[in-house]
Amino acid sequence: MAELVVIGLNHRTAPVEVRERVALPPDLLAGAIQAVRADPALEEALILSTCNRTELYAVLRAGCDPLEYFLALVGRVKGAAVGADRACFYRHDGPAAARHLFRVAASLDSQIVGEHQILGQVKDAYRLAVAARTTGFLLNKLMHWAFRVGKRVQTETDLSRGPAGIAPAAAELAGQIFESLAGKTVLLVGAGRTAEAAARALLARGAVRLIVANRTLYRAQQLAYDLVHGPAPEDEGENEEPPGIARGAPAAGGAAVAGGAAVGGPAAADLRGPARSDRASPAGTGAEGATAAAEAIALEDVPRALPRADLVISSTGSPEPVLTYDGLADGLRRRERPVFIVDIAVPRDVDERLGGLENVFLYNIDDLDRLVARNLERRRQEIPRAEAIVEDELARFAEWLASLQVAPTIRLLNEFLQSLRQAHLERYGRQFADADLERLRRFTETLCSRILARPTEFLRSLTQEGGTGETLRTVQLVRRLFGLDEPR
Amino acid sequence: MAQALVVGNWLLPLLYLALLIDYGATFFLRARTHARSPWLWLVAGVHAAVLALRGIHYGHPPAHAQEVLSGVALAMAAVYAAVEIAGRDRRSGVFVMLLVFLLQYTSSILLAGWPHEVHAEAAASAWGRLHVVPALVAYTAFGFACVYGLLYLAARRGLRHHRFGVLFDRLPPLDLLGRMTWHALVVGFVFMTLTIATGPAVAASGREAAGHLASNPKVLMKMVTGGVAWVIYAAAMVGRLAAKWPPQRIAAVAVAGYAVVVALLVASALLP
Repeated sequence: MAELVVIGLNHRTAPVEVRERVALPPDLLAGAIQAVRADPALEEALILSTCNRTELYAVLRAGCDPLEYFLALVGRVKGAAVGADRACFYRHDGPAAARHLFRVAASLDSQIVGEHQILGQVKDAYRLAVAARTTGFLLNKLMHWAFRVGKRVQTETDLSRGPAGIAPAAAELAGQIFESLAGKTVLLVGAGRTAEAAARALLARGAVRLIVANRTLYRAQQLAYDLVHGPAPEDEGENEEPPGIARGAPAAGGAAVAGGAAVGGPAAADLRGPARSDRASPAGTGAEGATAAAEAIALEDVPRALPRADLVISSTGSPEPVLTYDGLADGLRRRERPVFIVDIAVPRDVDERLGGLENVFLYNIDDLDRLVARNLERRRQEIPRAEAIVEDELARFAEWLASLQVAPTIRLLNEFLQSLRQAHLERYGRQFADADLERLRRFTETLCSRILARPTEFLRSLTQEGGTGETLRTVQLVRRLFGLDEPR
Repeated sequence: MAQALVVGNWLLPLLYLALLIDYGATFFLRARTHARSPWLWLVAGVHAAVLALRGIHYGHPPAHAQEVLSGVALAMAAVYAAVEIAGRDRRSGVFVMLLVFLLQYTSSILLAGWPHEVHAEAAASAWGRLHVVPALVAYTAFGFACVYGLLYLAARRGLRHHRFGVLFDRLPPLDLLGRMTWHALVVGFVFMTLTIATGPAVAASGREAAGHLASNPKVLMKMVTGGVAWVIYAAAMVGRLAAKWPPQRIAAVAVAGYAVVVALLVASALLP
């Protein structure tokens, strides 16, 4: 495994200003991997680039310095030399490189341990490399092994369980009350950033109707449009996103909604459209492919809108409660369905007495903080289990790789022929006189040596002439041909 | 045969206790939460074999309260095993297994040393068998309604008091638990109605007069149990459909109703 190497930097070894210089956004990544293909310095290669890490996994040819090669490659692709401190980079060789990849795939090396997205990003990087035909026998095997490690960690531990941000925590709480958010209505009161993220998380889980209330109706309309037609949720930095994703509000749509507002009154803007075209709903929600509709209202209209809402997220800057007990208690008492209210504002927007009503599930920012802290602590406790899975799989991978080394294969081949020879001598030896038996022994010994001479010479020549991938593939073929891995 | 039945009678609670410990480990240690285990099917198979042997030996299916409890335990275990395969999640198993273990343990205690007299003539008849099957299904469904009702009430209490403890995110969502409770109640009610409807036919097919059966305190107690269960769950049906009772009230009725039913079944078993 001496030629397998990973070189790169991540959030622990390099500040963001260095990471962004080295990062390869999706459009440049494809060019970089194509450049690798055309270059004979690397036998196999794969580039992983997220906002928290940029790494080159490679099987090197002799004489290649991977760090200099990689910096030159990035400079070539970006059209300018990368002025990055070499000390920000790490390099792992052989088993350490495999361990590093397994930890990355298991999300043990992520900024927020256990985040979901990294395994998908590793798969995307692999897909790109396969399409460019820069992977070979060793990297193909290694990457599939890494996917298995990631999957095992996700299913056998709670490392990825429970959200680590306020917005997804609100969505998780909603998921504890409602089996599915499909068909549910979200009322967003105020336009705080976290509340917006929470609304996005709920929409992503299948909620299909959105009512946005704000002191300024125009802002409510703008936000309603953004939430339905806007860019993908940020997930409060929990996930490692590809670098270079632009964010912003669609100006044309906003103007259309503003036109609706000009006529005054609660402007019910028909904003049906592909709300989550880039955001697949979680499996089993039944909301796959559903579209969302949004409506903007003034803050005074909240009591009238509340009976229609199943989930309320409030985040205004009001010094007084916006959802008051006197104004809403009677309506909520008559309600048959539960209503989930998240009050993210400080000072609080929702009168806490409303939480005492039969069908009201009221949470404030402290509750969400406690939930996030609990999840992070639980993830921390799961790290040893996840590390054990990584080590277990690494041992298996190393065992598999060791089995494909030339020297042990030659030894096994020799042992195989000797055991065959011995078995036949024992079986037929009784038919010979002692003197003849001795001659037969010498004869079979010479025969075995002659038979082995050519394959041995060929296998040894592979280590000098062939590439790593070719050697491993050939050794595997020889072992399968003679059944060397089968128990005897 | 009698020896084998004695061994089987004590083996079953031990096996369910082992399963309870196994599921408890899954719930508390979060180990093998999605693993498929053949042990539950194996134990259910042993249980079915013991009941079958009992039926062959005494010449009738489970008819006495003691046997019915064991039959309900088996039905619950089998239904849960199917649910576990469908849901690929064994985290709620500990609650079902606790109930299954308690039912089987109660049954085994009551059956130990109990002189089995074939005084349930109705059980020996074809009508009797018809009568027992829907009763078993009804009591099993009520058992499930009780378990899911308990889970609903516990989850609701935790969510309303903002407790992110052991139960939080280990249980299905609140509205799903409420729906499962309701569906189990509906199934139980339908089968209990069927049981009661076939009751007169059982009495008519017996060798003795219906009046004599009614004077038998054991039979009378079973009739009372079925009647009380029917009234309790009918109230829940009417409450939900006509008066729009909230899920928490339905869950409370499911739990309280099953407690009454089990108490009456145990009481009928203790009668001479």
